[in-house]
Amino acid sequence: MTGVVGIARTHLVTNLRERVTLFWFLAFPLFLLTILTAIFGSLGTPNPTSLSVSLVNLEPRREGPADFAAVVEEAFAHLGASDTHGRDPLFHLRRPAIGEDPQEFLDRERDAVRIGDRALLIEIPAGFHQRLDAAIAGDGPGAEIRVYTSGGRISSDLARSIVDQVVAAVNGRILSAVGRFDPSRALTVERASIGSSGGDPLYIDFLLPGVVLMAFFTAGLFGVPGTILFGRERRILKRYWVTPLDSRRFLVGFSIGHLALCALQFAALLLLGRFAFGARVGFASPTAVGFLLLAAVVFLAFGFLISSVARTANAGMAIANVLNLPMMFLGGLFFPIGELPAVLRGIMFINPVTYLADGLRASLGVSAATVPFVTTIAVPLIWAGVCIAVASRRLRWDVER
Amino acid sequence: MSERETLRVTNLVKHYGSVHAVDGVSFSVAAQTVFTLLGPNGAGKTTTLEILEGIRRPDAGSIEAFGERRSRIDRAVKERMGVLLQDSQFEPYLKVREVIALFSSFFRRSLPLGEILDRVALREKESALVRTLSGGQRQRLAVGVALVNDPDLIFLDEPTTGLDPQARRTMWSLVSDLRRAGKTIILTTHYMEEAESLSDYVCIMDHGRIIAEGTPRGLASELGEETFIEFDGRGLSDAQLSALGSAGRVTGAGGELISLETTDLAGTMERLIAWSKRNDVALRDMTVRQPNLEDVFLSLTGRRLRD
Repeated sequence: MTGVVGIARTHLVTNLRERVTLFWFLAFPLFLLTILTAIFGSLGTPNPTSLSVSLVNLEPRREGPADFAAVVEEAFAHLGASDTHGRDPLFHLRRPAIGEDPQEFLDRERDAVRIGDRALLIEIPAGFHQRLDAAIAGDGPGAEIRVYTSGGRISSDLARSIVDQVVAAVNGRILSAVGRFDPSRALTVERASIGSSGGDPLYIDFLLPGVVLMAFFTAGLFGVPGTILFGRERRILKRYWVTPLDSRRFLVGFSIGHLALCALQFAALLLLGRFAFGARVGFASPTAVGFLLLAAVVFLAFGFLISSVARTANAGMAIANVLNLPMMFLGGLFFPIGELPAVLRGIMFINPVTYLADGLRASLGVSAATVPFVTTIAVPLIWAGVCIAVASRRLRWDVER
Repeated sequence: MSERETLRVTNLVKHYGSVHAVDGVSFSVAAQTVFTLLGPNGAGKTTTLEILEGIRRPDAGSIEAFGERRSRIDRAVKERMGVLLQDSQFEPYLKVREVIALFSSFFRRSLPLGEILDRVALREKESALVRTLSGGQRQRLAVGVALVNDPDLIFLDEPTTGLDPQARRTMWSLVSDLRRAGKTIILTTHYMEEAESLSDYVCIMDHGRIIAEGTPRGLASELGEETFIEFDGRGLSDAQLSALGSAGRVTGAGGELISLETTDLAGTMERLIAWSKRNDVALRDMTVRQPNLEDVFLSLTGRRLRD
């Protein structure tokens, strides 16, 4: 064990002290987790994308089930309430306060739309029932609601398209209630198709294992050659070889230090995912731990491979960058991979990241396995074997002269 | 190999392609002495040292270390040796005491941290990151690291290259201290003054071979009873220079420094002063000195050490 612990500690400590590596290994994955969750997660926290909409019903109430103005009002009011899953409402809805004059409310909110404070204003005008009754009786163009928007604003357009769907649905209900419409053909408003993409399991549960793998990937493909090639160029390693420390012990110590670094990355991401974004995914199963370890080892092996074929630290970083794009983005780390062109599918097929992500997620119960369990272990292991075989032949510990 | 020898090298050869970096070098190093390889850059000093340090394998030749013949420098030898490499660095984000502790952990036996820090005067800097150290402090740290295992044999490859005069003097006194403490030291340098003031024995290397060896005084005295008169010769015309031939033997007329070599100091001085009056030449920065290792190298190769 002479020197092994010292080398492990050195690798860990120097990585944590260097601001650049600290950023890429720790801060960046945390940042990525945060930003992707904020964009695609929409989890329980106030949703800034809720549309600000005002609603006023100027039609006096009519007793009985045929108060269609109230039906329309409630249909929109429904869009302003959270659903049973606790997801944010589509509309942040404003209505006249109790006792407030609806006409005053209408005037004030029209101004709000004009200056862009509201995406949209819905007015159910007085005379709604009269016109509706006439339309049903067959002698009139039909009742209308008035929608005020300010032109050219995306939120207004979005809100209006939702209103159009609601109106179509309400039309269907009214027409079918009076026997002139087949309810099975009625439009329904499916709010899930417009709103956030949440679901069960949560996006954060899908994302977290991906970001953990990305963090391991960065530490392995960039961190390992960075340390080894930099150490070789600066003759830091050479200084080790004139002591009783040999390259075998160095590698053991270095690998232990690297795995400790990965463990730290994992802990930081897990804590953030759990406590900031409510991730429920647990990594406690032996299979999940096994996949995490496998991933850390595979990327470590890739790091050794790069160190063995690059002559300088800069060349090593260039190779890592070339591998970075296809491996990371054609491995399904951040998004489920859908249909891809044949070439990209080919890369995905041989990419160890694909199998690690698939196996890890399946072992966590986040998504169903798409390839057999054995394959998810075998393909990354084969890659690790190839990398280590090449590295053990080609890795040079001193600059050539 | 006698008890008094720490190291003996016989016919060491190392080629890089067609370059004969080390071309049949033999020498022996007496215990508790300072042994110096002196030569210009590219003479093969560092390659020779790196073979002895176990970094490179020789193409041919044999090495005996601590009384045993070895095919290569193994762990047992490394436990007893300390090395200051010419161009190596330490992890920039380690602290001084962490670097020393790290290297201590490589050896079965090591000195206490405080003793090392005191020896190289880095006690105040023990918590500083390597990247914040000055050049001289880094070199002292490197020396401290070379001493962590209280070695019997110490390699110092160009220990003062790139250091300011103050740091250089500090390094020289460190070497003298180590020699007094009974260490065997193998040193390489291309500074003639360094070799002269520190060494018990000098091998002068050029083009991968040893071209002269002996004590510094012994090597210089091989040049005979000659004395050198030197002065700044910038701005002299060819005619003036050729007239100078009547004053004495001109050896270093190529550059700025004019050098007259003579066994008759008084006579040469008289003729030189007469020449200077005739040609109206101010003998700027004139010095009179005995031959040194630089002159030995010059007489053997026709070149200066730092050319």
